[in-house]
Amino acid sequence: MLKFIVRRALWTIPVVLLVVFMTFVMMRQIKGNPFQVTERAVPVSIQRNLDRKYHLNKPWYTQYLYYVKGVFTADLGPSLVQRNQGVNDIIKEHFPVSLKLGGLAMLWAVVFGIPLGIIAALKQNSVFDYAVMTVVNSGYAIPNFLIATLLIYFFALKWRAYTPFPTNGWGGPSSWVLPAIALGHAPMTFFARIVRGSMLETLQQDYIRTAKAKGLRWRRVVGLHVLRNSLIPAVTAAAPLLGFLITGSFIVETIFGIPGIGKYFVTSVTGRDYSVTMGITIMLSLIIIVANLVVDILYGYLDPRTRDVRT
Amino acid sequence: MPLLAVNNLHTFFKTREGEVRAVDGVSFTIDRGTMLGIVGESGCGKSVTMLSIMGLIELPGRVVDGSAVFQGRDLLKLKGATLEDIRGHEIGMIFQDPMTSLNPTLTIGTQITETLRRHLGMSKQQARKRAIELLQEVHIPNASSRLDDYPHRYSGGMRQRVMIAIAISCNPKLLIADEPTTALDVTVQAGVLDLLHELRSEHEMAVIIITHDMGVVAETANDILVMYAGQVVEHASAYDLFDRPEHPYTEALLEALPQVEGEGIRDGRLRSIPGRPPDLIDPPKGCRFAPRCAYAGLDDCAVVQPELREIRPGHWVRSRHPASERVAQPVGVG
Amino acid sequence: MVTDRRSEFEATLTRTAEARGQEAGAALQRASLLRDAIHRFIRNRAAVVAAVAFVVMVGFVILTPWLSHGSAYGVDFAQAYKSPSWAHPFGTDEFGRDLLVRTALGGRVSIAIGFAATIAIMIVGILYGAISGFAGGRIDDMLMRFLDALYGLPYLPFAIITLAIFGTVNFWTMVVALTIASWFTTARVMRGQIITLKENDYVRAANALGARWYRVLFRHLLPNTLGVILIFVFLELPGVVLGEAFLSFIGLGISPPKASWGTLAQDGYSAYEAHPYIIIIPSLAIAWLILSAFFVADGLRDALDPRTRET
Repeated sequence: MLKFIVRRALWTIPVVLLVVFMTFVMMRQIKGNPFQVTERAVPVSIQRNLDRKYHLNKPWYTQYLYYVKGVFTADLGPSLVQRNQGVNDIIKEHFPVSLKLGGLAMLWAVVFGIPLGIIAALKQNSVFDYAVMTVVNSGYAIPNFLIATLLIYFFALKWRAYTPFPTNGWGGPSSWVLPAIALGHAPMTFFARIVRGSMLETLQQDYIRTAKAKGLRWRRVVGLHVLRNSLIPAVTAAAPLLGFLITGSFIVETIFGIPGIGKYFVTSVTGRDYSVTMGITIMLSLIIIVANLVVDILYGYLDPRTRDVRT
Repeated sequence: MPLLAVNNLHTFFKTREGEVRAVDGVSFTIDRGTMLGIVGESGCGKSVTMLSIMGLIELPGRVVDGSAVFQGRDLLKLKGATLEDIRGHEIGMIFQDPMTSLNPTLTIGTQITETLRRHLGMSKQQARKRAIELLQEVHIPNASSRLDDYPHRYSGGMRQRVMIAIAISCNPKLLIADEPTTALDVTVQAGVLDLLHELRSEHEMAVIIITHDMGVVAETANDILVMYAGQVVEHASAYDLFDRPEHPYTEALLEALPQVEGEGIRDGRLRSIPGRPPDLIDPPKGCRFAPRCAYAGLDDCAVVQPELREIRPGHWVRSRHPASERVAQPVGVG
Repeated sequence: MVTDRRSEFEATLTRTAEARGQEAGAALQRASLLRDAIHRFIRNRAAVVAAVAFVVMVGFVILTPWLSHGSAYGVDFAQAYKSPSWAHPFGTDEFGRDLLVRTALGGRVSIAIGFAATIAIMIVGILYGAISGFAGGRIDDMLMRFLDALYGLPYLPFAIITLAIFGTVNFWTMVVALTIASWFTTARVMRGQIITLKENDYVRAANALGARWYRVLFRHLLPNTLGVILIFVFLELPGVVLGEAFLSFIGLGISPPKASWGTLAQDGYSAYEAHPYIIIIPSLAIAWLILSAFFVADGLRDALDPRTRET
């Protein structure tokens, strides 16, 4: 098991290098020196100093090495627009907010999605099952900007008297509820669908018939034999889900005016603050790479077959 | 009193095309400590019969009628919890495909001990100790060290041995083996069969062994039940059945069996049975074997369903043209 | 969300490939297989309803601008922010433009981008997957490692960077950005399909008989993946449409006065407090398209999946 974890962890290094390289190459394709897009013309001497300071006068591979070194020493360089701030500062300031929002959304998704999926599967073709499936289908079809907007429209405006949620900002717990639901809705329905589907599939398996033939109590058959096998897909799905959560946070943070990393990413793109764009992209990718690593290890723990075959 | 008496069992499956009469009036009995072989082609209802007895038929399937009296209690009428107490405790069951019958995410140890703890109320340590003994009993080498392995580390034959260990762990009165060797390599089949016989005499269990291969039950079963299209077509002692098969279907099955030695060895060619089993949604009105039977057409047996009758003491057959009553040559055969 | 939906299909699709390979090997006529599949699809009520809904939506976006006399571009402030009525079934926007016509025109843009990007994704994915699966060995290993590295990265940042590289947002840059961000799954599935089909006896026989590689690939392998490709068209399309909507919503859509459903939703968002219908309509149009496409994909999958044949 340990060997598996180590090998899997080592494999992330080339992946990180590849992602950094791709991002770096892509960012270099964007035309123009970042300092020249600003409205004010910068004197040539200052331009040269800036270039030197940020290694912009070096060949691209040197720049790349500098950047890789930066990534591994957790220094993502300065912001190109906000002169006094480094990308690190910006991430440090905005990331905790996003982390909290994402965590709450995930909590919402897991706490409601998994039980819904389990009950729907156990009561297949019942009214409850149909109701869950309707909500689930709405979850991936309705874009989350509509869900976010409607949540604000009803809970923060229409029914303001009964449901005291603010329309935007990131203050106390009451301001966390609506964004977390808006962001967590799609993952919630996703969990419900995955768990329901894999439960139904697992219930058909031969080994479940064996468990019943052994005379085990229904509780144990479902609680151990069925759940253990049908939660595996839910765990493996959690990593790509994170990618979706990130995408969704761009929208939800923008709509609710939450000072998180997603909103700042959008700002950095429109403001052409490329080093911030790049820094955030790499950081988000790193998070996903690590999440994949964790999921693979968890998967290895849950499904013993993979321990022997996987690298 | 027989250990298990199944009477007039009907199990149907609802499908879009109609109701499949998978088991259509099956009756048989089995005594303590004896071995019954149930033989038939795939889809003839032999597995469904066993699953019905165990209460393991899932929707869209449904036991429509009949009884299965086991030690004085009708299994088909028992409530869930009571039936659970009998399953795995007094009746053990093993299945065809050992590769899929064990839970891949639990250790072999867990899967053996959970039965022991459930039915015999053993503590963790007791159950573990007993599990090791059981693995030794089914001839798994290094039993104590292999207890914590997961099923994927076991070969097919070994897994079937584990399944057997689980099935016999609570000393059941009856062991149902549903095609226990079909999915195994030929080389390990004999070993698993030998093990079953060995355990039967040690534990004084009755065994029902389901197979499509006459050879599997030829030497060891006391009685043999031949099923075709959801019905019993012949039921006799093994000796009598092999010696004097009566039903044309049984004859055909025996002719399909390769013979290596002994008198009456045929000219080296195996016969296959022409045609396919009938559609069980809308089965033939008369004898279900009639469409494939060489003797059908001599009378109205293709229209009127023949009864299962006792042609001589202990030998039951469902045919108008059993071998011992035949005078005419088969239709169309020279 | 959409990505995950696609990966859910992977397992069943492999099974389909196995069965299809066997059937093809058994020299069954392809026509009868097709007839079988069509028959099963038609008997699947949800799939038929979805197919009709899909056609209705496509018909709506194509026909409405010709049939309706509402003005999509003419500015008339007297008509601004009219709620839905007989004259304007979907109401009007801040410039008094008819939203029925604008929704249809926006749909044309969204669906056109959707189809163009889907085709591009198919081409890239099929090529990559087929090469990887067909070549096998080292090449396959390398290509898949690369794909693994990209898999699960947040696609939106990369799409956004791609748009930034182009500097402008128009139909074609949008298509490229969306393609770059989402060709991975198709590639992976196609590789799986090719590998499964390659294992079939009839392909081995063809190889043993000395058939040339391109004949094996084009005669035996690719034609048998057509069903799966069709399924993937219906799985990718909604993902791409949603991706376009997200990008438009955060301000990276194609420029006005042209509109897509995403930019219409963004317009609606800026006025949701007083006129919520403006954001609801394009959002529901997106949901309609996504749901119908998914259920069509589901129906196709079931029609091609051998396991559903029995019941």
